[in-house]
Order: sequence, then C-alpha cells, then structure tokens
Amino acid sequence: MATLSHPASLNPLKQFAQAYHILRKTSRASNPAWYQEAHELPFQVHIRVDGPQITTFYFDQKKNLWSAGPTLTEETLNDPSKIAPFANEVLRYSRSQGATALGMILHVADEFATAELKPEFDSPAALNDLREKAYLEPSTILEDASIQADQSAWRVLPYPAAGSSSIATTIALSRHYAPFFEALRHLSEQANFPIITRALSAPLVAIMGLSHAIAPGSGRPFVAILQYPWLTALAFFNEHADLKLIRTLQHRGLRRPTNFRNTMATTNASLEFVDPDLFLIPLGSNVDTVLDADLRITFANSRVETLQFPLPEGVPAWCPEPVIAAITAATDVPHITSHTFSILRDDHWATQNFLQTPKELVEIYPTRSEMKLLQLARLSWMAMAACALLSLCYVAYSAFRLVSRPEWSFDPSTAQAAKGRISNFGQEKAKANSWGNLLEDRSKAWASLEALAIMFPKDGGMIVKIYTHGAKPENTAGKATVGFIKEWKISGLARDEALDYLNRLNTREGIAAHFNEVARVTGNSAYNPSATTRSLVINVRTQENTGYKPAPVEESHLLDDSTYPFTFDLTITQRFEATDPLAINSAKIP
Amino acid sequence: MFYYRRPIVLFAIVVPVILTGAMIGGGISIKSKMATSFETKLTSYKEYETGRLSGLELETQVNKQRPLLEQWEAMLKQETASTVTSNLRQITEHLPSKEIQQTAFEPLEKGGFGAVSAQKSSQLRIALRGTFRTMQRALHELETRMPQLQLQDLKIDTAANQASLLNFQVTYTAWEK
Repeated sequence: MATLSHPASLNPLKQFAQAYHILRKTSRASNPAWYQEAHELPFQVHIRVDGPQITTFYFDQKKNLWSAGPTLTEETLNDPSKIAPFANEVLRYSRSQGATALGMILHVADEFATAELKPEFDSPAALNDLREKAYLEPSTILEDASIQADQSAWRVLPYPAAGSSSIATTIALSRHYAPFFEALRHLSEQANFPIITRALSAPLVAIMGLSHAIAPGSGRPFVAILQYPWLTALAFFNEHADLKLIRTLQHRGLRRPTNFRNTMATTNASLEFVDPDLFLIPLGSNVDTVLDADLRITFANSRVETLQFPLPEGVPAWCPEPVIAAITAATDVPHITSHTFSILRDDHWATQNFLQTPKELVEIYPTRSEMKLLQLARLSWMAMAACALLSLCYVAYSAFRLVSRPEWSFDPSTAQAAKGRISNFGQEKAKANSWGNLLEDRSKAWASLEALAIMFPKDGGMIVKIYTHGAKPENTAGKATVGFIKEWKISGLARDEALDYLNRLNTREGIAAHFNEVARVTGNSAYNPSATTRSLVINVRTQENTGYKPAPVEESHLLDDSTYPFTFDLTITQRFEATDPLAINSAKIP
Repeated sequence: MFYYRRPIVLFAIVVPVILTGAMIGGGISIKSKMATSFETKLTSYKEYETGRLSGLELETQVNKQRPLLEQWEAMLKQETASTVTSNLRQITEHLPSKEIQQTAFEPLEKGGFGAVSAQKSSQLRIALRGTFRTMQRALHELETRMPQLQLQDLKIDTAANQASLLNFQVTYTAWEK
C-alpha cells in the first residue's frame, strides 16, 4: 500500500488522487465497519490485562457467544514487532467466522489512577466540555501541572451523587499499550480488514456492571471494593446508588494494599457514610481470598457481601469486564437503577476509549460521508461516461450515415467540370439558336410570289400591274430583339366580278384568311396571322379606270387594260413585334 | 475536518461534468458541422444531378443540331456574292433559258435587316427577267440553298417589250460569319 500523507500537506489534486487511491485500494467505501466503534461491530476480540494474567475472548455478538480467544503473551503485547502471529491468527479466525470486521477491545486492569480536576471546574453543565478537553488538552483541566500528555490518557468520570466534593474526577491510564494498537491498525490497513481498537479501563467497566450484580437495596450507602491483582479500586455510592467518590489503592507487590482498612474508614467518615454495605468483587484469578472475612471483622456493623456477576459459559467469574462492556440496554436489564448507572452506560462515561486513534492519523483517510460522495461520484462517472459514449456513438453513427451516402463523396470539382461542360453545350445551343433565329424564314421571295399568286388567282378578273414588297426592321436601338415590318403594295386593274373579292380581302378576316392560306400552302410561319405579336392591316382602294372602253366579253382580252373598268391599289402591312419568335436577335453570334 | 470534500467535488463531479459536457457539446458541434457540410454537398450534388440530366438533354439537342450548325457555319464562311452568283448559275442551267435571265447583280453595303444586328451581313441586289413560276422556282431554289438570304425588297413589273416576261428586282440581306 502506498504511503499516505496527511491531506493538509497535499494540493487539491493530490488530495483527490489520495482519496481515489483509498477508494480503489481499500474497502472503506464498501465496509462501514471502518467508521464504526469497536463495540458496535458484530465480531469482537476482548483482551483483559490485569498484571499477572492476559485473558482473551472472541465474542460473536449475533450469536451472543463467548469463546476462548487467541493466545497473547505479555511479550507480544509489549513488543509490537512480534504482533504478526497474533494478528494473523485473529484475522484468520475472524474470517473463518464470516466476519468482515473486528472490534479489538482492551480491558486495562493492571493500572487505575485518578487525578483531580482543578477546583474551578465545579459546574455539572460543563461536563461535556471537560470530557472533550480531557482528550485534547488535559493539562488545562487537571490540578496536577506536571502531567505528560504523551505518556498517559485522561478521561473524565462524573460524580453524580449530590453533595460530592467535586463534580467529577479523571481516570488516568498510561499509553503503554498504544504501540500495540498502532501495530494492529497498521496490519488492518495492510490486510484491508477493519480492526477497530478500543481501550477501556476495566475498573470503570466493572463499576458500570455493579447494577447487574447488586441486589436491590437496603437503602444504605455502599462501597464497591474491586479487588484486582495489582490494585484495589473503591467506589463509594450514596444511598441512592449514585457515585460519590472513587479511590484506588496500589498493592505494591502485596496481595492487598497496606492501608486498606484505614483508607476505608477515613473515606467513610469524610463521606459521612455510617456502616455502609461493603460489596467485594474479586477480579483476578489469584486475588486475596481472606479479605472478605477480614472485612466482616473490621467492619462488623456493615453488611459484607462478595458479588458474582452473571456471566455466560466460558467466561471466568473473575473476568466479567468483557461481558459487562458487551451488555447493551436491549440485552439485559439491571437489578438496580440510578442516575449514575444510567449515565455510565448510556453516555458511555464508563466505556471511554483511552487509546483513541490519533486525530492526525484519522484525518489521513476521507470521512465516511466523503467516501460515500466519492463512491457516488464514481457511479456518476459511469453515467457520464455512458452519456458521452452514447453521444459519441450517435455522432459516429450519424457521421457514418452521412459519409456512406453518395452525396458526401461528391467532389465539387466534378460539379464545376459538369457546369463547364453544360455551359459549353449551352453556348453551342445558344449559338445554334442565334443562327437559327437569323436564318428563320421571316422574309422569303418565293413565299411572297406564292402569296401573290394565291391572292390573284387565274381568271379572277384582276390583273396586277405593279408589285413592290419591302421588309425593314424597326428602329429600336439597344434592344436584344428587334421587330420588323413587311409591306406589300400592289396596283392593278379589276373587272366587276373582282370587286366583291377585293372587298372581302379588304377586311381583317379576309386578309387573315389569305395569309393563313399562304402559311398553310408554303409552310412559312411568317404568314401565320394568329400570333398575338403580329398585326396585319390591309387597305384596298378601287377607282374607275379612266381608260376603260366597254366591250363585249368575248372581245375582252386579259391583258387589255381598257377592258377593266376599275383600277385598284392594295397595301398590306404586317408588323412583327420585338417579342415575336421571328424578331431579329441584335447580338453578334460568337 | 473535511479535507477531501472540496477536491472530491471539484475533481470527481465538476471536472467530469465539464469534460462530459465538452465531449457531448463537441459531438453535437461535429455533427452539426457535418450536417451543414452535408447540406452544402447535398445542394451541390442535387444541382449537379439536375445539371447533369439537363446537360444530357442539352447534349442530345446540341449533338442533333451540330451537323446543321457546322453546315451553316461552313456555308456562312463563304463569300456571299460569289456564292449567290454561283448558285444562280447552277439554278438557271437547269431552267429554260427563255424563262429566266439574270440582268444585273449588285453587291451592296450592310443595311436592311443587318442594320439592327451586330452580326456581320451584307446586301445584294439581283435583277432578273423571266416568267412568274420559273422565277419563283429559281428563287425558291436559291433561298433553299442559301437560307442566310432574307428578302429585303422585291419589285415586279412587266417587261416593256416582252409581255410574257416580268422584271424582278430582288434585294437580299445576307447574314455572314
């Protein structure tokens, strides 16, 4: 596992990298045990150290089953470098029991000391502040100014009984077993298996357990005498079973403290306890067994009773602290109730952790909420990656669809080449059309002669003397197409029978019919009178022939002008507008 | 103390959201650009296809017209007066000489229909004497051979000494290349 640094020493990117590394390489995100307390875990190892003896138990909380724990020697406990076999055995067994985490709870029964608070702290409302300060800044609350915070740990214990000389005292334990816990935590990280440690003061736990051992009362004050191999702790309770004072007496190599009787007597006197009940609790396998008898003699007026904790099978009678610590309100009901016993358990005053993981080590790892946030973010990455991938696939699919169509691979230069080719064709066609326009049969001599022949049929009683025909363009400079005018002037002679014909011809319908006939016969479209872009006008003028000499019909020669009683002058004007198909293109042909 | 909260929010949420947004935005942008490009290509392609089809039609028309145009151009390149003279001689050789005689031929400057067109042209005046139908046949043949001739003026009157013959004075505008 990579070496982790405190996040305060890292820049944001490295902080994130470290958090992500922890997310990937550890089970902190998936196993909530990393963030739980040892006593909350379903599988626990309890270690009890009372000086001459080290006792261990496995506790399966789900099964409420206690069993003998792994072998732990004093040497292992005091030398963390030799912890591996013990730790491996614990891990192996825990895993074999299906545990995903382990609570390692150390009950320290080989030392117990009190230290008094400064007198100025006399407000019960300040207890929680004192509790916090005892952990962070013990020197600020303790009367003894010579304490060394790195050597010991202090935890506040309240005196709830009314009339106590102080609101609380502090219990001190050395940090003697801190390296053991540190080594366990290190192995835990290496194995990626949560081992959550907790160090409890065994006498405090035993005092908390008194509510399960003492029979409902006589209404008298009582003193609990906790008889450990190396020390004797005295807990003085008033008649309401509230704690007034705790004292500890070291045995100093003997089986009992030398000043025990004197201490008991003076403390009772100072607390104004008169013949309190004395409850003796042997808490070692080889403690002084005659103390009970001595107490009956010394304190003849007091009720002296040796207490036994109700313990499950597999746990010796002198070793009740692990069981007491594991008791929850839901699993057992105390024999006696008091404010003291309530707060000792419910507010965890008796189960305070004396060897908490140092804050700077805890802060190396993201908090549970941060791990959840990171885990959630990682899930969101997948969603975002899926979105991005889908969008890219969609783009790729769309692109594929586009590029697979023939239009995509179409080369614009092809269009240019095609345009050029079409343009060439267009020019050629325009050229052909232009020539076609100029070469149109707009004015042809043979067609004019045919028109003349049709207009004056043989034996029609008319003779043409002068025929002139002209065609001229209109004077409209600058136009793309130019119209033109065709004019016929015909002079001749006519007999009576021709007058009707000339009169019919001298009408719009008459001349149009004539032109229509010419167009039909010659196929020359210039004679088509129906086009709206053309106009056709005729004017026929007849006069008497001054040279006319009446003669019999049989004497009238066709070419004899004097046999024609009339002369006529006929003018036909046909106008083609500039929009007519036969109009002349004015542009030069390329 | 939540040392990791801010970097987690920054690098695990904000940055991926921005990157994802950028990728999606980039994808949409690329797609949009491709769509725009495709629309352009599609327009060009449609224009090309339309042009190609109309071009094929145009090509068919032009190919059909081309021999005629080449014939026209070859004809129009020839000098007008000599061509008319030559054609008239060839035409009159096949007609009765008594019924048609060329009496005059006069090339003129540009005028008539040619006056309003930038295209090169010339005028020529031909005087003929002959019978009506023979003259009509001759002029029909001449105008068929030389479609560039556009009748400008035509005057007909009777011949003074020969009653069966007519005097024709024909003025043409001839288009030239």
